Amino acid sequence: MIDLFKEFVNIASEPIISFTALTILFPLLFPPSDWFEKVHYKLGFNYIWTNKGGIAMFILTTIFFILGFTDPYFSIILTKPDNVPIILMIYSMLFVIWYAMKKAYINDSRISNGKKPMEYNDPEDKVLVWPDLVYIEFIALLIFTAFLIVWSIVLAAPLEEPANAAATPNPSKAPWYFLGLQEMLVYFDPWIAGILFPIFIIIGTSAIPYMDINKKGDGYYSFRERRVGIFIFMYGWVALWLYLIVIGTFFRGPNWNFYGPFEWWDPHKLVFLNNVNLSEYIWVFMLGQQTPEGSTMNILLREAPGFILVFGYLFVLPILLSKTWLKNMFLAYGPVRYAFLCTFGLTMLSLPIKMFLRWTINLKYIVYIPEWFFNI
Amino acid sequence: MDYNNDERYWNISLLNKWFLIASLLWTVSMIWMFIDDNDDEFKYYQKQYYSILKDKTEEKYNSLYVEVKDIKETLELELENKITKMQGQEELLTLLDDSLITKKNNFAQLSIDFKAKIVEVDVAKYLVEKEKAEHSYNEESITSQNFKKLSLESKILKKQKEDFEISIAYFESKIENLGQDVKNAQSNRDTELARLDLLENQLDKLDRNRMTMSNKVADIVRDLPIVDFLDPRLKIQQTVVHDVKYDVNFATVPTVDRCVSCHMGIEDPLFSNVEQPYTSHPNLDLIGSSSSPHPFNEFGCASCHSGRSRGTSFTSTVHMPSTHAQQEEWEEEYDWEKMHHWLQPMLPAEYSQAGCFKCHTKQPFLEGAEKLQLGISLIQQNGCNACHHIESIPNEYDVGPDLTKVNQKFDKDWAFKWIKNPQSFRYDTKMPHFFNQDNNSSPEMVDRNNAEIFAITEYLYKDKEYETIDNEDEFLGNLENGQKLFNAIGCMGCHNINEEYVEYSPETDEYDFYLSDHGYEEGETSNYNLLDQQGPNLIGLGSKVSAEWLYNWIKNPKNYWEKTRMPNLRLSDNEARDITAYLLSFKNEDFENQQTPNLTSQSFDKDLDEIALGWLNKSFNYVEAQEAFNSMKDENKIIDYVADKSIRYYGCYSCHNMDGYEDAKPIGAELTLVGSKPLDKFDFGHIHDIQHTNFGWMNQKLANPRIFDRSKIVVPEDKSRMPNFYFTQQEIEAITTALLGLTDTKLESSKIADLDKSAQVLSGYKLIRKNNCYGCHQIDGEGGKIADSIKDILPEALQMEHRNYAPPSLYSEGSKVQPEWLFSYLQLPYTIRPNLQVRMPSFDLSDEEWNSIIAAFQDMEDNELSFESDHIVNKNGTKYKHGFELVSDYGYYDPETDEIIDAFNEGSRCYVCHFEGNVPPGKDFDITNPIVWAPNLALSQERLRPEWVKEWLRNPQHYMDYTKMVAPALYNKCPECFDSKLSDSEYDLLRDISDNKENPKWRTGEDIDYRLEAITDWIFSIENDADISNTIKEYFDKNGYKHFEEEEEENWGDDDEEYEDW
Repeated sequence: MIDLFKEFVNIASEPIISFTALTILFPLLFPPSDWFEKVHYKLGFNYIWTNKGGIAMFILTTIFFILGFTDPYFSIILTKPDNVPIILMIYSMLFVIWYAMKKAYINDSRISNGKKPMEYNDPEDKVLVWPDLVYIEFIALLIFTAFLIVWSIVLAAPLEEPANAAATPNPSKAPWYFLGLQEMLVYFDPWIAGILFPIFIIIGTSAIPYMDINKKGDGYYSFRERRVGIFIFMYGWVALWLYLIVIGTFFRGPNWNFYGPFEWWDPHKLVFLNNVNLSEYIWVFMLGQQTPEGSTMNILLREAPGFILVFGYLFVLPILLSKTWLKNMFLAYGPVRYAFLCTFGLTMLSLPIKMFLRWTINLKYIVYIPEWFFNI
Repeated sequence: MDYNNDERYWNISLLNKWFLIASLLWTVSMIWMFIDDNDDEFKYYQKQYYSILKDKTEEKYNSLYVEVKDIKETLELELENKITKMQGQEELLTLLDDSLITKKNNFAQLSIDFKAKIVEVDVAKYLVEKEKAEHSYNEESITSQNFKKLSLESKILKKQKEDFEISIAYFESKIENLGQDVKNAQSNRDTELARLDLLENQLDKLDRNRMTMSNKVADIVRDLPIVDFLDPRLKIQQTVVHDVKYDVNFATVPTVDRCVSCHMGIEDPLFSNVEQPYTSHPNLDLIGSSSSPHPFNEFGCASCHSGRSRGTSFTSTVHMPSTHAQQEEWEEEYDWEKMHHWLQPMLPAEYSQAGCFKCHTKQPFLEGAEKLQLGISLIQQNGCNACHHIESIPNEYDVGPDLTKVNQKFDKDWAFKWIKNPQSFRYDTKMPHFFNQDNNSSPEMVDRNNAEIFAITEYLYKDKEYETIDNEDEFLGNLENGQKLFNAIGCMGCHNINEEYVEYSPETDEYDFYLSDHGYEEGETSNYNLLDQQGPNLIGLGSKVSAEWLYNWIKNPKNYWEKTRMPNLRLSDNEARDITAYLLSFKNEDFENQQTPNLTSQSFDKDLDEIALGWLNKSFNYVEAQEAFNSMKDENKIIDYVADKSIRYYGCYSCHNMDGYEDAKPIGAELTLVGSKPLDKFDFGHIHDIQHTNFGWMNQKLANPRIFDRSKIVVPEDKSRMPNFYFTQQEIEAITTALLGLTDTKLESSKIADLDKSAQVLSGYKLIRKNNCYGCHQIDGEGGKIADSIKDILPEALQMEHRNYAPPSLYSEGSKVQPEWLFSYLQLPYTIRPNLQVRMPSFDLSDEEWNSIIAAFQDMEDNELSFESDHIVNKNGTKYKHGFELVSDYGYYDPETDEIIDAFNEGSRCYVCHFEGNVPPGKDFDITNPIVWAPNLALSQERLRPEWVKEWLRNPQHYMDYTKMVAPALYNKCPECFDSKLSDSEYDLLRDISDNKENPKWRTGEDIDYRLEAITDWIFSIENDADISNTIKEYFDKNGYKHFEEEEEENWGDDDEEYEDW
């Protein structure tokens, strides 16, 4: 029974299945539009954001980890001092999201009933710094210090010996805050996954306040009043960051192969991973000839389909969208904000798109120019 | 929410409650942190150590107390007595004291007066001198009168003062004397009890129960957290070893050893039978104590044992379990887990001798590291370093015989069967097995292998023919005589004949053995047991070679195989025939009856083609491969091609000399630094149940070399090809020990051993091992196995002293013989010890090699002289005459003729056993028994060194503990002898020193030294034939070696009678 479950988990946790499921489920969990909201309520997902739902999530997660500790292979991963904080991260992130969403849903129902949100207070009302502010902080400080000290005693810091140039660890994993990027490296060229994306992430998150024109949902929890923004942010944060960290921590093994949590890390494992570039698809498979090589002109010719695709996606698509589906948004946000939003949003979306293209048609690069070290 | 005080936003009592909880949690976690920080593992072990030390010191104290108690009682009693006596004299003492005080009081007054008087005298003197200077001096003047008077008075006072001083001193000494006895008694007691007091002091420091309250408190406080930076009892013990480096890839730093922090008792012999980790190091005289060659403070621990020496807990020091069972034990008991990132884990105890090798790379013999020595010998003897290059153990010789002339030795059939399965012919052969192993036992592989073997065989006989000539009788002699000769003349120093084999089952299941079907040798392998395996076990020869070949081989081995290590026994034709007959009597019927496939080209055609195509397709594309194949087929060269490929694949040329393969590359991986090879570079394949360690891999590889091909899909050209040597578990452990010693540890040259030995000396040591000198001779306590087989053939009466009939011990050879003599002797040995049947063979080495060997012997004795002056003896000098008198019996008095007959039979005391040139002891071959024969003394002049002879005469048993030579008497009394001038007591004393081993001056002292030199002089003056080989040979040819056979009647009595009259 348990073995069947373990097999199921092993298979289901493959990125192809789990990521796709997460992407499909996401708009149903954080519905950005009315249609999604209808399905959301029909499926009863709103019960997740209640106390009972929270407790249920907590119990399910805990049961999964307890099952993990009893498994000989998963327990090795779970008890590695590097990975224990990630367990904590999963719990804390789930808690934080659940708490906010619960509060948001309470406020949303109050607002829809015409009442003020929970956090509303009379601006004249004041409290004292001591003890009402600082005393609680002090107690929290004491508890947190105690927690950290106990953690440091129980879990030894993973300090290793000076590196030996002749002995590379396998797998060689980045620290957890870079594991998301390391996972992206599977699908993207290093300069995109390691340079472009991080820069966009940083600039993008800094630019959010400037791009955002929604005055509502300010200072109190609310989902409905900011649902598009929350949905986009949540997707980027949970699916494209936290989730990739979890994959990188628990599911990547020797040679960066994928291993289910209950699977033995077989160092001999080999998986078919031959991938084809877009230019090869176009020239070799569709047109039946060899890819143009050699001179600059030939290179540009070879990668022309890729360039066209990328150009179209980043520059033509927003314009098209502004005239059709996103017309209201374009008018509301104005051209500058809209342009920035599209840049960041489309770039962010390109990650799951590329992942899907890799999984479905074994696509390697859309633009592939090794001669100039330029790949997309 | 209804709060009492509406200024509060939160419920304050709830907050207070939470504050209490939070503070408690915080305090508890802080205390826990302090405890955890200071609760080091080593402190526990140190506490245990101190407790054991306390117990042992108490034990020692108690036993010493018992020992000393009696003396203590006596002495204390004496002390009491003296004190009482002194107390009895109290009255006298008081009187003396009073007198002294009175005297002193008076003296005080007097000395003040005296001082004043002196000043007065000086003043008066001044005045007189002033007068004199002013030329107004007058003897009668007042000043001078005054001066005289005062001087007189001062003299009187001085005398009085001195009287006082004398009497005061007298009284003081009297008082002191009274107390002296007490003092003496006290110091006697104290000296005896000094040891006890010392122990008591130690105990006071160790045993808290004995401490004062303040000391006890201090002892506890000194180890508390924070305060323990001052002077803790429990602290890290650290040694910095500067000369052995820890390489961190970007720097090399000195090793830092903290092992002693838990292993506190490591240097203390008191802890020699305590449990780990308190026990002391075994063999402290060799390793550890400050007077040993490896003191701890210079070498540390990790320089030999590896491991993470800076660690301070059991796991962090990377102790390695040697078996799975031990690993489980440790995991449970110590929470052990492997530290993956430390690349030099500690050597498990059974491999600790591997640590010796990094410094003792050149060491010619490794006393104290027998397992390592065994491993190195096995590596050399089995030719491991022929296929696997090892820089520090270079390949000195071909392990297998020359294959360029096999057509003269055996036939094709035999060759095929042998290559396929050597042990089916000789169960303990050194040649390993390439076929029928773990990865080539399937029917397809067997067919393929048969074809390969056929091709190789054809190659060996290319353009040659094995001829059988029917001339056996010419070369066969008497079998029984041959057996006797074989057992006696020295073949057993390198060979054995043993048809008994046993089943073997290893004691470990840590790794899988691929066991042999043909049995193993009996008994454990050891350095000693390897000595008669220099050459093969000579069984089954009757099923292998012809009489002609064997006869010619033993007459002159180098004719067939130029580089053979087998020396020439200088056999006569008859001797050779007899031995041939004996050896050919051993047959191996099972081998003869083995079925072989039909050894013709036709039966192997298909297989050969397949093999050839396989190799060709590996190197060329399929078109070129087919072309090459076709052209080879046309020229009938397929079989040559397959033979060449197979020989290069299996690497035959690494051990055997073969035509055309002089420059071929060895097939094995280089093992020069295999001890430091990172673990992830060892190919464990799919074998997951052995330990994931380097020694686990090495052990498994040696037990079944092809096992790592299991579960793999490999084409035949890429299969693992290391052959199986069928090692036993013990041999595997020894070889693994040696391999683990091949590391790249960085050392300063101050740690490397034997840097002072020249290349010539080191190559000499290697040659001594290579030519198996140890097989016949005992050199520095090692070797001499041939004596065991000689003992077996001796009659029972002689078995107690069998070493006298075996090749001599070569202890002190370097300072014993003259090097030029040794050189010429080694080139052509002749008889030195007349009664030995075993003979020294001729090794036919080059000048360079002989020089190296001689240099090595000299190095053993720290003798550096290549040329020395001859020892010239002045026959007219007194020393020579004294020597002459010492070695010769005075004649006997014949009452009938009233004459002294044969006064001074020259050398008669020596010639009882020694030859005098060609003259046998007793001067007559018919009366003398060869059992007593000793070397020709006339040989000494050109052979021996006088310094050595002198020491030999002093105590022969020191140089050869088995020798029958008696330490000669160093006195000789007769009317005309130089001892005649000694009184009887002097003479008796001399005799006692010479004869009585219990005498502390036994055979040393000026007088004795002179006498020994005198005898040496006499020996060196003997003029007679040095080489008496012919005389001896004639005698034994005529009479045989009867003294070595069991005698029915003992004719010992007759011989004794001869000597009675002397």
